[in-house]
Amino acid sequence: MAFGYHGCYLRIDASNGSAKRVPLSEDVLRQYVGGSGLGVHLLLEEGAAAVDALAPEAPLIFAFSPLVGSPLTTSAKFAVVSKSPLTERVNDSLASSGFAIAGKGCGCDAVVIVGKAPQLSVIVIEDGEVHLESAEEYRGLSCRETEAALRARLGNYRVASIGPAGEKLVRYATISHDGRHAGRGGSGAVLGAKNIKAIAVRGSRRTEWAHPRELTALSRSLSQRSFGPATAKYRELGTAANLLVFNRFGALPTRNFQSGTFEQAIDISPEQLAVTREKTRKSCMACTIGCEHIYSNGKSGVRMEYESLFALGSLCGVGDSDAVLRAAQRCDELGLDTISAGGTIAFAMECVERRWLENANWLKFGDGNALLRAIEMIGARQGLGDLLAEGSRRAAQAIGHNSIAIAPQVKGLEIPGYEPRALQTMALGFAVGARGADHNRSGAYEVDFSEKVDRRNVTLDAVEHAIATEDRAALMDSMILCKFLRGVFEDFFGEAAQMLHHVTGWDATAEELRETARRIVRAKREFNLLAGWTPSEDALPERFLNTPLPNDPEAALSRERLDALVAEYHRQRGW
Amino acid sequence: MGIFMAFQHFRAGNRLGWSNCHAIICSRLPAPMHVEFYGVPRQRAGIAELDVNAETLGQLLGTLAERIPTLRELIEGEGLNSAFVANLNGDRFLSDPETALAQDDCVLILSADAGG
Repeated sequence: MAFGYHGCYLRIDASNGSAKRVPLSEDVLRQYVGGSGLGVHLLLEEGAAAVDALAPEAPLIFAFSPLVGSPLTTSAKFAVVSKSPLTERVNDSLASSGFAIAGKGCGCDAVVIVGKAPQLSVIVIEDGEVHLESAEEYRGLSCRETEAALRARLGNYRVASIGPAGEKLVRYATISHDGRHAGRGGSGAVLGAKNIKAIAVRGSRRTEWAHPRELTALSRSLSQRSFGPATAKYRELGTAANLLVFNRFGALPTRNFQSGTFEQAIDISPEQLAVTREKTRKSCMACTIGCEHIYSNGKSGVRMEYESLFALGSLCGVGDSDAVLRAAQRCDELGLDTISAGGTIAFAMECVERRWLENANWLKFGDGNALLRAIEMIGARQGLGDLLAEGSRRAAQAIGHNSIAIAPQVKGLEIPGYEPRALQTMALGFAVGARGADHNRSGAYEVDFSEKVDRRNVTLDAVEHAIATEDRAALMDSMILCKFLRGVFEDFFGEAAQMLHHVTGWDATAEELRETARRIVRAKREFNLLAGWTPSEDALPERFLNTPLPNDPEAALSRERLDALVAEYHRQRGW
Repeated sequence: MGIFMAFQHFRAGNRLGWSNCHAIICSRLPAPMHVEFYGVPRQRAGIAELDVNAETLGQLLGTLAERIPTLRELIEGEGLNSAFVANLNGDRFLSDPETALAQDDCVLILSADAGG
């Protein structure tokens, strides 16, 4: 077996707590590396595409990587992979910190969970030994409370847990660890459907590295570069720095994508938040960047990312920073994906405005209290919250009035904070994304913010650039490295080959890893095909194709142009 | 020339308000272009925007480095460090220092990693 791996995964049946080790061949590991790639491969092996995402037999996979436990900065990450209950397509979400190191320390490269526990339970894994314990006493607790309570009960374990939203099977519930979330696509609901409140891991089994001295030298170099200008934005302002930039470019989704600029953007910008509030910074374990910016909100602090600011701020028309911070905090506590929560609520706000949604006149754009009320109702699946807990696509199907045309989603996954008409390479990235509208699996927005394209009038030349960002993301998510490092690499695939060589001993080349990335993208597509994907899914809602942005008439994307981009994407992929 | 014309008006007994004088003066000087800073460049500059006279991107960056020394770490040679980008009027991105700038242009300077 190659260095850096244990050569097996742990398959746990939650219905009785039994577990077995299943060997993983070196050939499979070299083809899929780890993280998202390995997770999708195992998902296909398990036949998950044909199973309902919330069925007991549906597998949920925690996948580690050969780099976990190494001195490479940002490498303490894990992927959570399953069929999404929101999209019914493949879903892979990433999170960071000690759970990855402790989980791999249990002597496995992945943990596959199937079955359904008879009562709300916690899966406890120590050095590969597995048992179930009751978690009934934690029912209704937030992610952070659950983590703290379990650590107090069990000792020095690392815990990934769901909040009340996961217990209630909200289709965009998260799995949380150490204040971070495997956020998108509803993996928290998959765990909730198994009656699993949390997984606690503790392990001391380390893997050796093939070339420790060279690995240490490369790690030093990478850490040094991670202190440089390429990551300054993340260190100094965090991703929230995007807000004013996007507003200036007319690309800040506002009031359910009815506009690309928000007149109160400055009020919720990190520049303004830093003036009015105390701020602290935090890093994930084994990270030298430190991108988490935590703003004081009364007695507690709130981690604030661009995606939360946009989704709970401009997208809902809320310019009250107190309300936005509180909303982000409640989403974290309940275990809700902020993008899908904000997107679904903003969609409902517009439906109320259009009188398509009755008995909800309180739900208005700009009303911070209404936003908070809606979040609570979603977390508890109460009243209107029961409908909104299904996500904007299913809510639109229930509401009718062709409201699907304004539901801000692709394949059911709510669109992140990039206005597709103003950033048209990203529009393509959203349309073809295997897990739906997504800015982490496609970095196509980088192309829009470059000299390579005219962002409001992209041509077929943009397609190869969009594909390149998708391939890079597929490998980064499988190695696994934080994408905030991407600016420090001059030749990512070349350096990735070096990293894998030093850790595993493989004589991997940049070209081999490019093919590995393409293989992983293909595996996701294969899963989607088996799950029922049709070509009509690679599209955007009608709103984006019929109407230019009102404040920027040049930001217009016709159906013909998007169709041509998607067709060219499929052609270049060989699909 | 603009100042001279304003003085001539004054000598001729024309009663010009300040805004008229300013308009005459500015019509004869090269109108400055506008520069906006976002994110880290704004942190370094300590201001959100300013007006600068320059004919090319390279000149503009040189002037900025001179007027605001803390911006020098963003600039390499005549261009920007690869971690930062310049945009013209919210439309197209620029990197060639020889790119000609017009008088009413607005140049935006921001971090290259625009996304999350």
